[in-house]
Amino acid sequence: MGLVTDAGRSARQRREISPQFGLMVIIVALCGVFTLKQPGYISPFNLFAMGRSLAVDVVIGFSQMVVLATGGMNLSLGSIGVCSVMLSGYLMQTLGLPVSIAFLLALALGGALGWLNGFAIVKSGVNSFVVTLASANLFSGAMLVLTRALPINGLPPTVSAIGSYKVFGLVSPTLLAATMLAVLLFVFFRYSVSGKEMLAAGGNPRAATMSGVPVNRSIILSHMLSGVLAGVAGLMVVVRVGAAIPSVGGGDWLLPSFLGPVLGGVALAGGFVSVTGTLLGAMLVTVIRSGLLVLDIGNFWLQLFLGLFLLAAVLAQRYGGVFRRRPR
Amino acid sequence: MIALRRLIATEWAGLGLIFVLGSVLSALLSPSFFTEFNIYVMLRSASVGMLVAFAQMIVLAVGQMSLAVGALGGLVAVLFGAMLELLGLPLLVAIALALLIGVAGGLINGALTAATGISSFIVTLATGSVFTGINLGLTQSKPFHGVPPDFVAFGDARWSFMPALLWPPLIVAPLLAVFLYRLKPGRRLLAVGGNAYAAELSGISPAAMVVLAHAISGGLAGLAAVLAVAQLGAAQPEIGNTWLLISFAGPIIGGASLNGGSVSILGAMLAVMVIALIENTLVLVKVDPYWVQFALGALVLLTVGLNRWRATHAAKT
Repeated sequence: MGLVTDAGRSARQRREISPQFGLMVIIVALCGVFTLKQPGYISPFNLFAMGRSLAVDVVIGFSQMVVLATGGMNLSLGSIGVCSVMLSGYLMQTLGLPVSIAFLLALALGGALGWLNGFAIVKSGVNSFVVTLASANLFSGAMLVLTRALPINGLPPTVSAIGSYKVFGLVSPTLLAATMLAVLLFVFFRYSVSGKEMLAAGGNPRAATMSGVPVNRSIILSHMLSGVLAGVAGLMVVVRVGAAIPSVGGGDWLLPSFLGPVLGGVALAGGFVSVTGTLLGAMLVTVIRSGLLVLDIGNFWLQLFLGLFLLAAVLAQRYGGVFRRRPR
Repeated sequence: MIALRRLIATEWAGLGLIFVLGSVLSALLSPSFFTEFNIYVMLRSASVGMLVAFAQMIVLAVGQMSLAVGALGGLVAVLFGAMLELLGLPLLVAIALALLIGVAGGLINGALTAATGISSFIVTLATGSVFTGINLGLTQSKPFHGVPPDFVAFGDARWSFMPALLWPPLIVAPLLAVFLYRLKPGRRLLAVGGNAYAAELSGISPAAMVVLAHAISGGLAGLAAVLAVAQLGAAQPEIGNTWLLISFAGPIIGGASLNGGSVSILGAMLAVMVIALIENTLVLVKVDPYWVQFALGALVLLTVGLNRWRATHAAKT
């Protein structure tokens, strides 16, 4: 018995490491190319800016990853994120609540909207793709009606102070928060009962149900978690911009949210997550985005590069897999 | 009674009823609803939507999905504009080439999905991003205005309440029906969508059908893009940005199965009409335009839930 699990684990570890090693090589190589072309790429100023946007990309990736774990997907995370953004702005500016309480309530809204998604999926039995596609429009529609698409600019100075604060003169606190979330998620999926139940529900719902895993509860929980994480990503943008803007998130988060996990080797089929992989995938997204910016290539071509990288990555994984004989 | 029950059981009957009741309600809410011009406006806005819905429907039929319908439409629209303005090609040549570009984009989607076995969701998310990237990179987000006046006039033309723009979807719909229900490739396409394994055992190549479905979808997206250019009077790079929801809402509200093998052409058309009706009514009664997005999301959730409930209910009795 012990032998079997050990073999299973080492096989999994091999599987987990190889694509990530490839990703790391690509990231380092790209950083090298960008630095050669434009030495300012690794200036403290640019590294700080990259760290701030990396934090957002990482958390968006996690928000998608936790739902992918159960074999579902969440197309509404951008809409949930912007709902949290606008609520936090309303609470701070109009109601004058302290920043910490406003942020907590905004995250609670994210969790509540995620719960709605999960509840609708479980109760109706309708595919998570359709439910979250519809709820994305529902959420952002409601947000636009309530805010009239007007930004909230008069936030307390603490907010932008957090955004421009530099730990050790280089690192944004948002990046530290993202790293902390990575550790928490790693522990959650590897050691906690709820985390393992989520993976079981995603891997094989029938078998999971038969062995007493509350599959429906796991799905709802994964969507709540996804909603809270989308809220975290939204608040990171609030802190960076120093205002609550209704054009944050929305459809713009869709591609990056899948890029991180899929580049990192998380399958759409469910039952498997890779926190480090998602982290590296998000890092690649940030490196490319910032590189194109520094080289002055312009944001218009960004989408093309991100799409090509996603395509190249899934193809590499697919054909790498033929040689490595992936299980399943 | 049995006839009535059978009518209710057909997928599109409920939609037809919703459309009729909705129209009556709109007419009561606003006297300008039942005017020739308003019905023309409503039908005109539904024309592009129907083709977008068909473009998604044909991919759903084979059991896949395409997130790239809108992105491909946007790319075709700007290339169409470029062919007219920069190359000065004759209109009909430009239209033919635009449709070919659409088919080529669809072929890329289909070939990548079929050859690699990677989920169509991921493949089309990636290719969609590539299409949008090329579109934005080439145009720098600026539209092409050099569209022949005749073509713009076609976009505005009407006969009483009937817009000229509605003709293409009205011609495409029966062609699609004949293809899917009478011709061998169409039957095979649906068979692969219903059960790919069984279809393969009976000698059908699922890969070929997947490629075929995506190619047709690309052509339909291209046609939708050409109509959108006629409707807007310029080749806007933003064409296709908002197609994602309607592309799925049309076929799915219309009764298509996400698992493949079953679609309803009439259902998809009625669903797009219902959506156009809702948008039109909200504008007429001067509701905040942001409610439209909310209403669309709610409508999809409601009908999908209802369909689900009806299916389980019908199975019990």
